[in-house]
Amino acid sequence: MVKKRTWSTIYLLCVFAVLYLPIFYLMFYSFNKAGNMTHFTGFTFDWYKEVFSDKRLIVIVIDTVIVALLSSVLSTVLGVFGALAIYLTKRRQYKNMLLSLNNILMVSPDVIIGASFLILFTLIGIKLGFISVLLAHIAFSVPIVVLMVLPKLQEMSPTLIDAARDLGAKRLDVLLKVVIPFITPGIFAGFFMALTYSLDDFAVTFFVTGNGFSTLSVEIYSRARQGISMSINALSTLIFLITLAIVLVYYFSSRGMGKVKHLPGGEDA
Amino acid sequence: MWQGRCHSRYSAGDPMTEKTIIQFDHVAKRFDGETILRDINFEIERGKFYTLLGPSGCGKTTILRLIAGFLEPSEGTITFDGQLVNKIPPNKRQVNTVFQDYALFPHLNVFENVAFGLRINKLANKEIEPRVKEALHFVNLDGYQNREIADLSGGQKQRVAIARAIVNRPQVLLLDEPLSALDLKLRTAMQVELRQLQRRLGITFIFVTHDQEEALAMSDEIFVLNQGKIEQSGSPRSIYDEPINRFVADFIGESNIIPGTMLRDRVVSFAGKTFDCVDQGFDEMESVEIVIRPEDLELKPQGEGMLQVRVESQLFRGVHYEMIGKDADGNSWMIHSTKSAQIGEAIGLFFEPEAIHVMRHGETEEDFDRRLESYEGADHD
Repeated sequence: MVKKRTWSTIYLLCVFAVLYLPIFYLMFYSFNKAGNMTHFTGFTFDWYKEVFSDKRLIVIVIDTVIVALLSSVLSTVLGVFGALAIYLTKRRQYKNMLLSLNNILMVSPDVIIGASFLILFTLIGIKLGFISVLLAHIAFSVPIVVLMVLPKLQEMSPTLIDAARDLGAKRLDVLLKVVIPFITPGIFAGFFMALTYSLDDFAVTFFVTGNGFSTLSVEIYSRARQGISMSINALSTLIFLITLAIVLVYYFSSRGMGKVKHLPGGEDA
Repeated sequence: MWQGRCHSRYSAGDPMTEKTIIQFDHVAKRFDGETILRDINFEIERGKFYTLLGPSGCGKTTILRLIAGFLEPSEGTITFDGQLVNKIPPNKRQVNTVFQDYALFPHLNVFENVAFGLRINKLANKEIEPRVKEALHFVNLDGYQNREIADLSGGQKQRVAIARAIVNRPQVLLLDEPLSALDLKLRTAMQVELRQLQRRLGITFIFVTHDQEEALAMSDEIFVLNQGKIEQSGSPRSIYDEPINRFVADFIGESNIIPGTMLRDRVVSFAGKTFDCVDQGFDEMESVEIVIRPEDLELKPQGEGMLQVRVESQLFRGVHYEMIGKDADGNSWMIHSTKSAQIGEAIGLFFEPEAIHVMRHGETEEDFDRRLESYEGADHD
């Protein structure tokens, strides 16, 4: 029994080693004085300094974050309404059709989505840049939000809505006071998923950035092609840490969601 | 305090003094061409405890949802307090519902669940608090304000659901099989509590159940439903003692239903013998069905009593023995008695003429009432 346990632990460690070693390898050399990834000659923060002194890069980071936040907020709003629409569709056929249309967007390759957006934007005359990237990010984030919110809706007993109506709630009250609070964990999950997808999307963004506007992943790609600089390692390390922070925030906020805060009026000894 | 406020509310408006609060007039309901309810007519009076009783799929919950406003009738009219309410949405009706699965809001605590309706109606905080406490006191949940819904037992959730409904002081409280998820002991206790609550509040309760014992124990009036129509309505006693047809007799309590022939008024023949009974108003030699309740059959030694049967099975039921006996004609008789008889034993059965209830084939409730009235009138002459 003990032996079995050990083997499974070793296996697990191997899996995680394969997953995380490349990242740690990259992070490790971001502190390398030699400026390459073969010989570690000494510890330095030079590459990080280089990242922070690079004005263009700072602008790109800010742009990336703005696009990520805006697109995830907007796609969360759209996605919640989309999920509600699918949930409230009575006919089973239509429901399944809508859900399939949603899922197709999830599984179709980014390259195809990116290329089709490029064609669409040039066709209808949207200038490639901030707006085109934002629209593309919203478009691929909405299905993610729908997919995160829908299970929460299905988990909700339909009599909850009846009960709220019965107690005098208008349709808007039902939505704001019963449905939205119930699906809040799903909304948060959808928001954070959309945020991370937007932050690290490369393929779709690559097609629709155009001149003058860029996001981090596209920038890193183009810099890596020009020649290896350890500042890319430093930048990647920073992105990884930020992503990690988001995951941790999500983890703790979703854990805290189970506990409902006490509302005014309920206090009593 | 509660009582006082309720009464002041009743005397406030003129239509309030009217006895009838809800009226169904030729109401029918269809879903996708399938008829769920057909030609439902009834009146609900203020301050009474009503039960809609029937097997699953009989339409009882549909009636409740029509009253609550979740559904619109396909035909006919529903009036509430003399006003047509066919198209009035649930949030504008003076009724509240206790749902089968309680439907408590999981993101709110007990206090906020109960306060939900009051907050929606924009009551001031200082008014909400005493009313919520009062409602919780009514359902014996003092001090539970800050509990989370997930931490409550089934019975406690049930009480919160009731408190959440009555805090709005509805004129009618609808209860959709609220006790079906509770265990037997708790269910019996809650039956008593609900009945007391109804008396204290003085409002109309409409209770939906498929449990005939529950219906008999709690109601002022029972509507027995089957396949989308009301088979019989009346007090528990009258429905139990005088079921109008085989369905009602079978559904309410145990019964022996035996084919027979009405020879003339107050004389009926069945199981190859002739008996005195109290029923009249039938045609001579009309073929009828006889109902005798198992507890009305008394065990006698062989040769005595009105009927001779041979015991085929015997079960001990706790309060009584349940035996099945077969007579010479092949009719089965279920007997409930504190005395027991052995399997294979020949015994006599005794019953009073009043224990025999005669049912006419295919008689509707109106025909039944008419026949009853006609010979009750004759008795008085």
